[in-house]
Amino acid sequence: MSKVTERTQTEGGRETLVSVENLKKYYGGEGMFADPPVKAVDDVSFEIRRGETFGLVGESGSGKSTLGRTLVQLERATEGRVLFDGRDVTTLSGDELKQWRRNAQMVFQDPESSLNDRMTIGEIIMEPLSAHGWKTKQDRRERALELLSEVGLQEEHYYRYPHQFSGGQRQRIGIARALALEPEFVVLDEPVSALDVSVQAKIITLLEDLQAEFDLTYLFIAHDLSVIRHICDRVAVMYLGKIMELGETGELFESPANPYTQSLLSAIPRPDPTADRQRITLPGTPPSPRDPPVGCQFSTRCPAKIYPEEYDDLSDDVWDAIERFREVVRERSRQELGLVDQARLRLGLFSKYDDIDEAVADLFGGLDAPEAVTDAIESAREQVKAGNPDAAREALFDEFNGICDRERPVLQGVSDSGQQSYCHRHAPEYEPPETVLQRRSDDE
Amino acid sequence: MASSTNTQNAEPLRRDDSTVLSRIADNPWPAARWVAVMGVLVLLELGALLGGFLNVVEALLIAVTGLAEVTVGLVSSSLAAGILGFQQSAASTLSGLRADTEGIPTLLSRDVIPNQGYQPGGTGAWEGPFLGLEPAYAWALRLVLVLAYALVLSYWLFRGWLVFREHYRQMEWSPTDDVVDKLRTHRWGQFGIVILVLFLTMGLFGPAMGPTTVEQNILSPYTEDSRIEYYNAESGSVETVFAGEANFNAKSIGSQDSNVGPMTYDDYGRFHPFGTLTNGRDLFTFMMGGARISLIVTGIAIGLGTLLAGGLAMVSAFYRGSIDLGVLTLADGIVSVPRLLLLIMVSAVFANTWLGNILDGGFLLAVVFGLTIWPFLWRAVRGPALQVAQEAWVDAAKSFGQQPSIIMRKHMFPYIMGYLLIYASMSAGGIIISLSALSFLGNGLGISPPTPAWGRAVSLGQGLVSGPSWHISFIPGAMIVLLVTGMNAFGDGIRDAIDPESDTGEGGETTAAGGGG
Repeated sequence: MSKVTERTQTEGGRETLVSVENLKKYYGGEGMFADPPVKAVDDVSFEIRRGETFGLVGESGSGKSTLGRTLVQLERATEGRVLFDGRDVTTLSGDELKQWRRNAQMVFQDPESSLNDRMTIGEIIMEPLSAHGWKTKQDRRERALELLSEVGLQEEHYYRYPHQFSGGQRQRIGIARALALEPEFVVLDEPVSALDVSVQAKIITLLEDLQAEFDLTYLFIAHDLSVIRHICDRVAVMYLGKIMELGETGELFESPANPYTQSLLSAIPRPDPTADRQRITLPGTPPSPRDPPVGCQFSTRCPAKIYPEEYDDLSDDVWDAIERFREVVRERSRQELGLVDQARLRLGLFSKYDDIDEAVADLFGGLDAPEAVTDAIESAREQVKAGNPDAAREALFDEFNGICDRERPVLQGVSDSGQQSYCHRHAPEYEPPETVLQRRSDDE
Repeated sequence: MASSTNTQNAEPLRRDDSTVLSRIADNPWPAARWVAVMGVLVLLELGALLGGFLNVVEALLIAVTGLAEVTVGLVSSSLAAGILGFQQSAASTLSGLRADTEGIPTLLSRDVIPNQGYQPGGTGAWEGPFLGLEPAYAWALRLVLVLAYALVLSYWLFRGWLVFREHYRQMEWSPTDDVVDKLRTHRWGQFGIVILVLFLTMGLFGPAMGPTTVEQNILSPYTEDSRIEYYNAESGSVETVFAGEANFNAKSIGSQDSNVGPMTYDDYGRFHPFGTLTNGRDLFTFMMGGARISLIVTGIAIGLGTLLAGGLAMVSAFYRGSIDLGVLTLADGIVSVPRLLLLIMVSAVFANTWLGNILDGGFLLAVVFGLTIWPFLWRAVRGPALQVAQEAWVDAAKSFGQQPSIIMRKHMFPYIMGYLLIYASMSAGGIIISLSALSFLGNGLGISPPTPAWGRAVSLGQGLVSGPSWHISFIPGAMIVLLVTGMNAFGDGIRDAIDPESDTGEGGETTAAGGGG
């Protein structure tokens, strides 16, 4: 812990190496009849400073790998800019792009698939050098041997094939290949998540040593919070293509500001039995990135959601039931009806969605909800049964929308050291997330 | 030997910049032993090997210049004429060289082990055949020796790779080793390889394997060189006769008194292992001659098809999107053209032009087959290509700026080559059948007569299958079946060998299915 704090202090004033400005990466959605695009990365901005390790954490599908791939130009950004040393690299092409690629390399997640099985280790490590016409063949061979020992392998491994190595060794080879061109910036895409825990530690130590030796800047993508906490100087937390919170590692882990970060961190088992913070379990599943919420991306699952004023007196249980019911209706509205069902709908014989009754009974049975709520739920239920979940979804939105449902928050500073969080609750007119979470968890 | 392996382990890097030659200089014995045996094998048959080699070179030269001529001809006809001139002069040089190689003595030739001759006096020892043996035995001896030689030579070439792998390769293990080791226990695949070697032997050594030669028996049976000596029982003396005349009296036309069946002699003391054709020519010799043209045409066709299919599969898998769609449309367009009609049309249009005369019309057929068969191969290989294009190592290569062409060659091609081989070997069977079918139809299609082609033999004998001359259709047909089966077996063997799960003995049957024309 002390190590992390020390680092943040000494590295506070470094210059920016990579600057990401309003980056968007959408898949599909082109053409008139296409489905709406998948918004893998949706308007993200941050900076990576020279020499630091910037962590990117989030659950699977949050867009963190896509973001990393877009930074090294493996994917073309849909919109926005990536400034590398002040130069916009999203517009590069041809020879310029190839030259720039020397500066930014990537280590891939799966060591089984990232090495070509039909090439020897020597050929694999030398390939980036050959692709850039680096010196003579003899020099390249020397360099490959040098890199082998840098990453902790033996020289006799030069003539072996990837099949003959363990996962950890293969990852070392992947690292050697990424370092061959002496890049300044390396994207590490979950470099240890496919490895045994004992091997993970060794690879992480190796990465730290290499960073110190070659002045590397890392973007470290992971879903393992303890790894992030160990290696990163600063961390960004992603959810559904958006950065929810960003800050110095120590600060973010000690005093998370965003409700999502808080629930994420509460999932880390704590060895201290006297700790009073409770585990926050997020309800439901993340919404589809094809159809993200209009307001805050996290609004469908947020434990600290701001509710509309007219329903101020509702209990948390009722709110929970309402949100779950909205999720069910949302899923229904995303389904497409087949021809037979559409015919039935016209003939008034539609019965496919009758199971919504059970959902309502499950969610609201035994709850003491006020009449206004039960009326709204009833009419939504009728509409779903009638085969019109879109209308039900609209009606529920109109009835129960708070600011979190309606408007996107902004990433705003929450501390002097540059911690930023993406939440409406940081505005002065609302209670801060911590108090709400504390109160709501105490109620349980 | 043990010490050499040790040095390799202890100091693998001392020699990392060494070439194969310097490694051989360090440890010359295994290589020397191999080269010595190989040298003996080559010397034995130098003339035939050189002749066969020149044949292949000539076919390749014609294929390459022919394609270049057609392509260039679209732009400039004078350049095309230049290429044509080059082709003709090069081909005539090659023919001259080939004639020279015929002068080089070879052990397993009909000069050393002759089988034609006569019995002075009608009985007793034979005058002419090797050691005075009966022509049938002399011929069988030569045939067996040639086949054995071909098999030994193939094995020794493979043995050369084994020697390299054990003594001179820097890698102690490579993925190819697994494939080879699996093939070494795969009996069905080995059967396919043996069949392929046997048919290739027919193509290369065909002239030495027949009881007589194509030249004497089929192409020019009425020249002075084509006279044969025989014992005339009526006059009781040895007389000479043109091979053509002898053929006239050795026809197999379906009646008991006019039929020379398999393994019999005709009236002129000539042995016919497969009997004679309806025009009295020797069927075995005809088959050997046909093997060469059939294999060359099939080789050119399948080579061209595989090249196009593999290249386009990688391009469409790498770029996907509209390029993939473009190739798909092109492939569908080609598939929709009926191949037989196209062949008839092309044969008619190019009849009596120089292009239509290369390889007796075979070259044109090969090109048409190659250009029409690639969509099938492409479709089969596109799936595996798409799969390998998704691998992280392709991304890794893109991330350091490797050129697309090198990515395709180094990171994708090795993974689809196995599939290409499988599908190519299976489609080759289809091409042989189609080629025979064309010759069977005749009427200007297929290989122009009198050049032997298997399908023509089937066609000649089709009306006689139910009588005593059944052999004319049946034996060539059976040979085609055998070759196609062998090709399929070879494909099966490769498929099992490249499939890492095949040694469990279950599953893995999904990658390929047999295919005909």
